[in-house]
This record gives sequence, structure tokens and C-alpha cells, in this order.
Amino acid sequence: MNWEIVKNDFKRNKVINIALIIFMIFSVYLAVLSVLIGIQTFTSIAELYEKAQPPHFLQMHKGEVNQEEINEFMSDYQHINYWQTIKMINVHGESLTVAGNDDTYNLSDCRLDISLVKQNETRDLLINSEHEKVILGVGEIGIPVLLKEMYDMKIGDHVLLTYNDSQKKFVIKEFILDSQMNSPMVSSTRILLSNEDFDMLKDQVGENEYLIEAYFTNSKEATNFQTAYENAGLPQNGQAVTYAMIFLLSAITDITTVFVLLLVSILLIVVSFICVKFTIMAALEEEIGEIGTMKAIGFPYTDIRDIYIIKYKILAIISVVIGYLLALMTSGIFTNHIKTTFGNMSMSPTAVIISLVVGCLIFLLIIYYCKNTLKKIGKVTVVDALVRGKGFDKDKGYVKDGLYKSKKLPINWLLAIREVFYNFKNWIIVSVISLLAVLMILIPFNLMNTFESSEFITYMGSSLEDILIEVENSEELETNYKKVIQVLESDDEIEDYHEYRRIRVQTIDSENELMNLNIDCGDNSGNDLKYISGKAPYLENEIALSYFNANEIGKDVNERIILSYDGKEKEFVISGIYQDVTSGGYTAKSKYDFSELSSIKYSFSVNLKDNSEVENKADDWSEIIGSGVTVDPMEEFINQTLGGVVKQLKTIVFIIFIIGASLVMLITVLFLKLRLVKDYSKIAILKAIGFSEMDIKSQYLIKIGCVSMTGILAGIILTDILGEKIVNLVLSISGLGIKRVELIVNPLVQYILGPLSLMTLVLLVSWVVLKTIERYNIISIINE
Amino acid sequence: MKTILKVQDLSKSFEDTQVLNNINFKVEEGEFIAIMGQSGSGKSTLLYSISGMDRPTSGNILLCGKDISKLDDKKISEVRLKQMGFIFQQSYLLKNLSIRDNIILPGFKLGKLSREQVNQNADALMLKTGINSVAGHDIKKVSGGQLQRAAICRALINQPDILFGDEPTGALNSSTSREVLDIINAINTDGKTVIIVTHDVKVAARADRVIFLMDGNIHDKLILGKYERDEEKTTSREKLLYEWLEEKGF
Repeated sequence: MNWEIVKNDFKRNKVINIALIIFMIFSVYLAVLSVLIGIQTFTSIAELYEKAQPPHFLQMHKGEVNQEEINEFMSDYQHINYWQTIKMINVHGESLTVAGNDDTYNLSDCRLDISLVKQNETRDLLINSEHEKVILGVGEIGIPVLLKEMYDMKIGDHVLLTYNDSQKKFVIKEFILDSQMNSPMVSSTRILLSNEDFDMLKDQVGENEYLIEAYFTNSKEATNFQTAYENAGLPQNGQAVTYAMIFLLSAITDITTVFVLLLVSILLIVVSFICVKFTIMAALEEEIGEIGTMKAIGFPYTDIRDIYIIKYKILAIISVVIGYLLALMTSGIFTNHIKTTFGNMSMSPTAVIISLVVGCLIFLLIIYYCKNTLKKIGKVTVVDALVRGKGFDKDKGYVKDGLYKSKKLPINWLLAIREVFYNFKNWIIVSVISLLAVLMILIPFNLMNTFESSEFITYMGSSLEDILIEVENSEELETNYKKVIQVLESDDEIEDYHEYRRIRVQTIDSENELMNLNIDCGDNSGNDLKYISGKAPYLENEIALSYFNANEIGKDVNERIILSYDGKEKEFVISGIYQDVTSGGYTAKSKYDFSELSSIKYSFSVNLKDNSEVENKADDWSEIIGSGVTVDPMEEFINQTLGGVVKQLKTIVFIIFIIGASLVMLITVLFLKLRLVKDYSKIAILKAIGFSEMDIKSQYLIKIGCVSMTGILAGIILTDILGEKIVNLVLSISGLGIKRVELIVNPLVQYILGPLSLMTLVLLVSWVVLKTIERYNIISIINE
Repeated sequence: MKTILKVQDLSKSFEDTQVLNNINFKVEEGEFIAIMGQSGSGKSTLLYSISGMDRPTSGNILLCGKDISKLDDKKISEVRLKQMGFIFQQSYLLKNLSIRDNIILPGFKLGKLSREQVNQNADALMLKTGINSVAGHDIKKVSGGQLQRAAICRALINQPDILFGDEPTGALNSSTSREVLDIINAINTDGKTVIIVTHDVKVAARADRVIFLMDGNIHDKLILGKYERDEEKTTSREKLLYEWLEEKGF
């Protein structure tokens, strides 16, 4: 009999029940999926790291090293338990040509620095997708999965290395996982050769670079170690990276996916609950007569409740089973990226069990919520149900005399606006959902807009210019610097350029310990950046600090800081604190030249007279200046650094728009259906006294339009007020070096297209639902 | 006298059940008609069909010479708004409007007169029916009789051609019923055509003519003539009607 009740109810309310099942399935699906992916991500990373053993501290160095010096330092350092120095051969992309079955190309457009390496003995291993240490034979090459994704290479393709006047041919034997350089956000990648091939090439090809790696008893020791290492004057012509940064860069894409999935699934669970409540309430309102009769006969409340709850139990079981199985079946699609990045791993039993528990929890939550909602049956009396025709809600309504005072407003508008004005709390759900949808859609959209904007470069410690030139730290640093100056001085298509020289000094941090401070010096240093507080340095005794450095040093704007260098001390005043995602977020800017100190790096920002020529000019200069110097149009620089994040954000924004719009439409449909049931007699009376169906539909469209527009406008205002705060909170937690972003709003989208499209969708679905009015008739009320 | 309503071969069925069978009758302007019959005779169905609340299965309904039986929703709504007033057994006033606002609502909707004029007409109607003191009240705070009088005012605000009533005193006690009937008679005396469905002899005795339905057909008609407010004459009309109905097994 229960199955009959469910079947009949399903036939009567097909659309709502289908919508309910879909939402329940999706909420279970996404919750289970996010658990599966979350657990898989962490277990995959853990397993990769266990096999590959990336370093706790890594210092890159271009140039030669004194290994004895390094060994002496390392053996004296207290918490260290292993170290190694790895030699790499840096080659340019254009020297590598790939010949597949269908295509031959070289890697000249690869934005990554490419290094040839041989396999390490025991730590920092390059492994395959089965987590096995890769051993290659002569003529074989191991390509990192990062390059495989960029260029669609296959096992068996040939790679030709051109150097001096020679060539060496390799065949791709394996695709390798690099625990350090797995992420699109890093700037380098390693290609594996056999020991023999590497030894043969090492002094003939490219430039040498070293990775000086250290392992500690506790990986957190890395930060202290870094300071000690730098102060010891050991080789450091390059980037230093800690274990925490390695992990973050590796996992950020997948963790972001898990985070978004989890958020969306929570949202969908909440929506499912709202849907359940609406459908239960609509059913109860429609069947209040039957419920009253059952009570009059003598059915206890629990028996009546159980008739309704059986339906939701069946729906919930079906949804949980389908959602769970769907998640298990499709998790492979979402874990594909994890497998590619971290290697093959079968679904862990923990993941399966925990996700099953999550599914069961959702089922129990739904049933609990249903029972809670159905408690209303117990509160309505027989007289209320059968005689007074009172509904279940405490819909006290309002009575406001004054319609007669209206002079001009058309009657449909008058009735509609009075209803929502005096009775807003009965319509508030539509407003709230519209508000949430707007927030949900606009904040990520504005963030994406900001990241895409060229102004964002000012959050990267750089001003907004056409071309960025970086002279890399190497033995050729000064030579290359002079080459750049020569090129810039002789080119009359340049409007202006600014030169920055990076030097290193020391200061005391907030824990009274010595720390290194890298400062970019130059006439324009610190100008045109986005400051959290204060301003750019102007006087020679002023310095601006990045947000991370300011925190580390524990000082604020207008405070004084002592810098030590070359055996002396100089006091500076902190003029401002800015944001910077480059160099790990630890930089500083000053106009003072620190002429006594040698440079670590040079950079130039260049403005051309004609910025349509930027790309060509960058290419020309790159060719003239040669290797060791990167010449990038600013747009290219931004794309390389943020391109991956922007692409991800675009996808997220699109998905969120679909979800937000769907939510608004669904809630509108459910709410309106319930509303129409409650307003049945009112509608019938209006029809009886001469209001046409179109009049009544117009009234509801006006009501829905007003409440959604209220929500949309409130959402836009909240986005303007809170959007930045929310984004900044997330960014400051992310550890990227940005504390405060001024969101760049696209006014056309935010104030016109966004609201219009949401409103259109709301009105469209309302129009469809309002067709129900055609069956409403005073006769049916009388007959009841 | 001008024929205001003409019903021609009106039939109505619901699925397999024939409720009205080829009904034919005329109503003259200013007449007061009572439709009576046993439960299930089709009297309410007839009322809803001729007032445009329900669509007949076949036949024509000519209101002031215009066939309203096949009009679309928009047009029939216009007819109901302009030319008809309706009083139900339950007053069916809108809960969220005051008494006065309920009354002026159809007037504002029609828009034929200025809103000021509508308000004045409403005030006049409320005065005439004795409910002006509760004009601004919540409908839950007035008596059944006052509600029904408000419903009458609402039905008359647009000066309709016909006033329809479906058991208009069915939910009222006898003294309130009398008051309401007096108002309806007064409206009819002013020239308004009234058609009422009732099972109450006292109500039907106020009519000029009684139509008796049986099994979906007009079985018989009784002409009572114009009602006069005289106790003896009223009693005599009721007795005549009562005997007539008794013959029919009512």
C-alpha cells in the first residue's frame, strides 16, 4: 500500500518529485565525490612523497659550487639528516625537437626552464606512474607529465637534442612524476636521462645549474635553515624553496577542486532540504482536508506522518544509492588529474568507507529533516483543517486598509506591491536565494576579472609596463646586464624604461633573529604598486616592504628598521607595505642604491611608444640579447604566472553561474507552487469578481519580480561591500602573499547583464508555473 | 420589457454525467428569478453556466443580446466585471483587504469611473446597507451578516446588469437572512435583475418567478409577481410556493 501511495503521489507531482530526486542525487553525488577526491588527493600525494622524497629545503644555483664548503656547513647544522647536490643541465626549448607519428615540433615556445638530469640515488627520485624509480638505458629519455600535457607526447616518440654542431637522439621511454616540479605553477621542469647520457652531455651542453637539497628531522626546520644557509654565503644564485611551498604548488589545483566541490555539495544539500520542505508543505496544504478527516477518524499524528514520510524515505534511499554509485563510477574522471600528477593509485578502502558513511549521513539528515517538517501535522486541529480551512503555517497575513486611497497605480500593480510590502516575510525566501545567487556568481566573477586585468601585475611587485626583462642570476649576470642596457639605450622606439637591481641585506625579525632581506633598488622602485598601507619610498632612507616581510619583521608603516650590510648599519623608515606574489612574497623596494653591494639579479620594465609592437619587440630583443635573460611582454608574464589560475576560475565561474541560476529557478518554481496552493481561494475569488487569468498572472509576476529584484539589488550591494572582504580573507589564508585585492568590477556584467539574466530566468519559470491558474475556479472551492 | 438574458438549449455534462439537458428560458430586465430544485438537480450548475463561471457543453447564453457561452477567459472576465455581480453563500471576501477595500476592488479594476467616484459609490452602498461603520475593519472582525452585505456592495459597485446569488442567505441566521433579503429586494425594486439559486422557500418567495429544476430540466415555473413588503402577503406567497413545491415532491 505504501508503494501505491508513493506511486500515486509521484504521478500527481511529477515535476516536483523529479526535481527533488535530482537535487538529492546531486547533493549525495557531490558530497561523496568530494570526499573521494579529497582522500585520494592526500593519499596520492602522501604516497608520491613517500616514494619520491622531495627535499625539505631546496636552493637552486646557477654557476659552480664548492661541494666541500656545502658539506662542511651541512654536517655542522644540527637538525639535518641528509643532503645532496644535484647537477642539472639547462637547455633551451628550441634545442629540443620532438618527432611523433603525426607531428614534429620543438619546444621553443615552452615557458618552463628545462633541465636535463640523471636519476638520484635515494632521495628526490623521479618516478613513473606506478611509483617506481625510473632507470633509463642509453638513448632513452623520461619526459615529465607536465610537458606531456602541454605537448601531447607519446611513449616511443623521438626527441632530438641539438647542441653546438651535434645532435643526440632519444626515444621517450617513460613519463615521469617529479614531486618538486609537478605543477603548472612552477617555472622549471626536469627531463630524465640515463647516467651515461647525462655524463656524456654534462660539460658539452647548455649551462650548469645545481639543486642543493637538505632533509631535516622536522620539515618545519626549513625556514631557519634558509637564513643560516644564506648567511653562510653558500651558493644561492637562484630560487630557494621550502617543503611547504613544494606541497602547496603541487596540490593547489586539486585541493581547489575538492574545496569547490565540497562547497557546492553543501549548498546543494541545503537546497535539497529547502526543496523537501516546500514539497512537504505543498502536499500538506493540498491535503489538509484529508489530514483533518484522518484525525477526525482517530488516526494518531505519528500514523499520518508515517504515510508521508515513507515517500521521502523511498526517494532518499533511491537518491543516496544512485548518487553514491554515480560518484564511485565517475570519480575516475575527476581523479584523472590526480593520477596524472601523482601517479596511479587504486581507490583506497578508507575513501570508500568514509564516502559510504557520508552517504548514509545525508540519508539520515534528510529523514530527520522530513520528520521535523512533518511535525506540523501534529499542530493542526481537526476544526482548523476541516471547518476553518486554516493552513499549516502561521500565515497571520496582514490587513491594511488603504487600497481605496490609491490614485493612479494600475490595480494589478497595486495588489501585487501591497502584498509583498506588507507580507514580505512570506516571500523572503525568493529574495534570499536571489541574493545568495548574486553573491555566489559575482564574487568569483569579479575575482576572475581582477586576475585577468593587466592591473593585476601591480600585485606582483611590478608596475604596469609593456615589457619585463629579467637578467637571471648566473656567472654572466653583469655581462648580460650590459647587453640589456646597450639594447635599451640604442632603441628609439622606447618611451622609457626603469632599471631595478636586487641586492641582499640583513635585518632582525620579530623574534629577534637575523634574517635576510632582498631589496629591489632603483629610481622607480616601489612606484605604481598596490599598497595595503602607506606609500612608495621616496627618500633614500625609506623602504617599502612586502606584506610577508612586514609580518616576518613585525613592523608597520612609519616604523624604523635597521639594515645591515657590508659591515655597516643603516636605518630606514618603512614608507609602505605592498603585496607581492613573486619570490615567495618576500621582497622589498627602496630608492637607495646600496652601491657597495653586488647584485643578485637585474630587472627592467620597459614602455614602448607604440604598444602594438610589444610582442615583436620582445622577440627581437630576446634574439639579440641571447640566453640568460628573459624578455616577456607583460601580458605573457601575467599569463605564465596566472594563466592556469585564470583558466580554472573561468570554469568555476561558469559552473557557479549555472548552479546559481538553477538554484534561483528551482526555488522560484517550488515557492510559487506552494504559494499558489495557499492562494487558491484568493485567486478563485478574484476570477469570480472579474479578474482575468492574465491579470492574476501579472500580479504574481510583479510580486516575484519585486522580491527577486530586491534580492538581486541587495546581492549587488553586498557584493560591493563584502565581496572584496571575502576574497581578501581567502587570499590572506592562501599564503600567496596577497592580503588585499581591489576587485575590478565589470559594470556591464555586475549592474546590467547579471541582474537582467537572473531576472529573466526567474520570470520565465514563473510564467510556466503560473499556467496552473487556468484550472483555478470558484466552483471547486464552493464544492469543497 | 427588454430581455436581458436568454438561455438557449443549454446543456452541461461532467465526464459521463449529464447535469443539464437543453435548458431554455428568458429573463426580462428587472425580474427577480429564483431557481429551485432538489439536491443534484443542476441548479448551481445552471447558475454558474449562465454567469460565465463555467463553460456549458453546448447551447447559447445571450446576455443583452451577446452570446457569452464561447468567450475566451479575458472577455468573459470583462463581462463578469462590467455586467454581473455575484453573491455566494460564503461571502468570499479577500482576507488581506478591509471591508471597504474589498468593495472598491472591482470598481478600481474596471476603471470606468474615477477612483474618487468609485469610493463615493462604495460609501453610498455601505450607507445603504448599513455597514459604513465597519468600512475599515478586518473581515474577521465583523459578523456574518455584515460580511454578506459587504459582498452585496462589492457585487454592485460596478452597477452590473444582473446580480447572481448562490444561496446568499445559506450561512446566515433567520433575522440576518431577512435583512439581506430586504436589501436584495430593494436592489431589485431599483430595477436590477436578480437571479438566485436557493433551496429556501422564504428566499424564493421574494422572487417574481420561480423556476423548478428536476434531473437537469426545467420542470415547472411559478409566477409570484412583484414582492411587497407586507407580512400577510409574504405569508401568502410562501404558502403558495410551499404547496406548489410539495406537489413536486420537494
